[in-house]
Amino acid sequence: MSSKKTESERKKGSGGAAARKIAILGLPNTGKSQIFNNLTGEYTLVANYPLTTVEMKRGVCRIEGESYEVIDTPGLHCLYIHSEEELIVREMIFSEKPDIIIQCIDANQLKQSLALTADLLETDIAMVISLNSIDETAKRGVRIDSEGLSRLLGVEVVESAAVNNSGIKELKSAIAKAGSGKPAVEYDEIIESGVAAIESELGEDVSFKRKAAILLLLEDPFLGDYLTEVCGREKVARLRQRVSEVRRGFRGNIGQAVNKRRNQWIEDLAEKTIRRQTKDAGEFSESFGRLSRHPVFGLPILAFFLVTTFFLVVYAAGFIESVLGGILVEPTVEFVRGHLPSGFWNEFIVGHYGILTMGLFNAIVTVLPILSVFFVMYGFLEDIGYIPNLCVLVGRFFERIGLTGKAIMPLVLAFGCKTMATLVTKGLRSRKEKFITIYLIAFAIPCSAQLAIDMGILGKAGFTAFLIAYGTLGVVEICAGFVLNKVIKGDEKSDFIQELPAIRVPNAKAILVKTYYRLYWFLKEAVPIFIIAAAALFFVDRTGLLDLTKHVLEPVVVGWLGLPIDIVDALILSLARHEAAAALLLNMADSGAMNFVQVIVAVVITTMFVPCFANIVAMCKELGVKTGIAMALTINISSFILAGILNWILIFTIGRWFL
Amino acid sequence: MNKKRERDEHLEHLWYMKEEGKDSVAGLQEVMKEDYDFDIIEELESEELVELSEEKDKIELTKSGEDYSRQLIRAHRLAERLLHDVLGGDFESGACEFEHTVTPELVDSICILLGHPRACPHGLEIPQGQCCRKSSRTAQSSVIPLVELKVGQAARVAYINCQSDQQLHKIDGLCLRPGAVVTLHQRYPSYVVECENSNIAMDEQIASNICVWREPEHFQAGEEESRFETGGRDNRRGRFRHRKGKRS
Repeated sequence: MSSKKTESERKKGSGGAAARKIAILGLPNTGKSQIFNNLTGEYTLVANYPLTTVEMKRGVCRIEGESYEVIDTPGLHCLYIHSEEELIVREMIFSEKPDIIIQCIDANQLKQSLALTADLLETDIAMVISLNSIDETAKRGVRIDSEGLSRLLGVEVVESAAVNNSGIKELKSAIAKAGSGKPAVEYDEIIESGVAAIESELGEDVSFKRKAAILLLLEDPFLGDYLTEVCGREKVARLRQRVSEVRRGFRGNIGQAVNKRRNQWIEDLAEKTIRRQTKDAGEFSESFGRLSRHPVFGLPILAFFLVTTFFLVVYAAGFIESVLGGILVEPTVEFVRGHLPSGFWNEFIVGHYGILTMGLFNAIVTVLPILSVFFVMYGFLEDIGYIPNLCVLVGRFFERIGLTGKAIMPLVLAFGCKTMATLVTKGLRSRKEKFITIYLIAFAIPCSAQLAIDMGILGKAGFTAFLIAYGTLGVVEICAGFVLNKVIKGDEKSDFIQELPAIRVPNAKAILVKTYYRLYWFLKEAVPIFIIAAAALFFVDRTGLLDLTKHVLEPVVVGWLGLPIDIVDALILSLARHEAAAALLLNMADSGAMNFVQVIVAVVITTMFVPCFANIVAMCKELGVKTGIAMALTINISSFILAGILNWILIFTIGRWFL
Repeated sequence: MNKKRERDEHLEHLWYMKEEGKDSVAGLQEVMKEDYDFDIIEELESEELVELSEEKDKIELTKSGEDYSRQLIRAHRLAERLLHDVLGGDFESGACEFEHTVTPELVDSICILLGHPRACPHGLEIPQGQCCRKSSRTAQSSVIPLVELKVGQAARVAYINCQSDQQLHKIDGLCLRPGAVVTLHQRYPSYVVECENSNIAMDEQIASNICVWREPEHFQAGEEESRFETGGRDNRRGRFRHRKGKRS
């Protein structure tokens, strides 16, 4: 805390007045990131499901000539904390003391958000409420009296449809004149006097004394750490004693009494501001949502999306690729070959491991088309809110393999980005479950980029190949779950309860913008790595080290896995980035260097083989460096063993038709 | 005395008069003394629960008025039996509050526990309920876990059993709390309930810890429903009804 303070003071000293801070807070999936993007003009990923934002993000915005620091946060239900990811948000509020809070509320779920509103009002920070997706609410026949809400709470309430950027002007002017609201809930006299007593004992340095006192009284499990840091161990012990005195003086359960008052306040507000008419509209999206998690109809819907994506990736992306190859790759290669004498530079630029041929062109000609088609499709699924419904479909199944509910969402998210999914496991309290989940995320689940390119590669061998490869990965993942569940001790059960976002009509612009940014990030991050990796391979090859490695690995790769020896290039590349390896495989499959069985085995091993660098870092962050690295090694060894087994099974079963 | 109780009292007295074969408005006024209120009678008439003669001197329960009063009398007399037989107490004062606050399910449960008694301690007949006609032997609890609802059925949350404060807060944060109306949409592969306009998925363990009031089954359709609401219930009609034919 003290370091934070000095930091802001330093800022003050160097560049005039420090920017005022705006914290964007709200329940999960209420459009915080969208508001952040609209305010700052930056872009963070947004999606129609919870947990999209895992870490704080900061940006700058200018309103009426003054600049503000804007902080985007992960979802928060209330200031009484029940999970670690929410704790970071509260710690930020207490240590950085934002000047203004924007609470994002999904207008469809106003009532759910009001508990947080009550908490935030108790901190006495200036506040603005942004009532998002107000357009959808109107369609569902629910009308919200935002003026009345503003009057009752004493803070500005701005209606907005954040996705279309509407309401942002109003929001900015509301921020400029934001003030703190009316004190929200008044508790029973005996509680109020207890709060006052605790408040008076809190030191000067404690932020938001009233709120802190209430949290102390409710025996918040995490507040003690903060207080110890601010006012020392002795003081905290004295406070604890005080709290238990007050609690003893109260007949009954204080938590329930507080909750009761608060719920009354919420009911009262909701009663006064929400008008519900018929709920006919939205019937289609409602029934689509229901079908998509139905035990019988849900599976065909999932299969439909998968198959559509598969064929789009194979054919649409294949088409773009061939066009790009014709107009970009061939002329360039011809040009370079024609103008450079054969030798070192020629090889370095357009040779087998050339920085253009293997580096740049792989990235933009082979991988980029596939990713663009795939990200449009994936963005579509994210935007309509389909993905969390998968949690329902797979829920009970996961229980069978020893995973309980909370692990579901991270695993489903892993199909998007494994690094982010690994960070989401913060929410898992049982160490065993966290370990298993992180392992499974890193193991046989392909991330979106991998999945896209896998589809591209397997597309060369046909849909059956796709089914066999992904069937295998599925079986492997399930078996891994079983084994880990048996091997690791500890049987603490955690619970699963998850809000499902409403299915909504997709917004084409939002999907395209998101796809654009994803591709932009890919190009920015991955292309240099592609080129550097190609250059590195080139030099390793020149020094003869590559041949030596291949020679050593030959019995394993060729003998056990049955793959062409050049696959070693791909395995080395995948240490840098999985897409780079996959692109190489794609070229090999294209040129007919691999047969049906080899394509499948190659895809399976590269999907399971060492997770990307960012993922390993996330693993180490969540589990500790030692465990993280040990896990990565285990995954590598098992991927070799399993892919080999698959190879031999395929050879002895279907091999005779293809070999 | 609240409005509902005043109405109930009038209907009960009309039932007594019917048992005795009387039908004069003056007679009703005589037995009810200061509780008598002609405004209520007019209100009951406009709701077609009672029928007044042209000269406004004769009064009679209609068919639906009779059905309603039967429930009240049944509850009252069963309560007398319960206090008399089981608790051995003063059945007069305790029992007369009883019929205004119970649900038909609870009345049936008491009837079953007492073995379907036919007469009250005064010897007057206790009207039969569905449970007597089926001569049920096991009483149903009026609070059931969420997992026992039918798909598409709505119910009001009675209480939630939680393993930890944190779990309670999390569930509370989703507006799943006592008094909220939940609709069960799906049971398999995971439970999905609708609550306050949003869908929530949960595992079996949480779903079985959420306890709801069993819906009054023979009062689901039409008029009776809103009248038989007990104190805390929402008066908006239809929120408490079965969704028909939506078994998914």
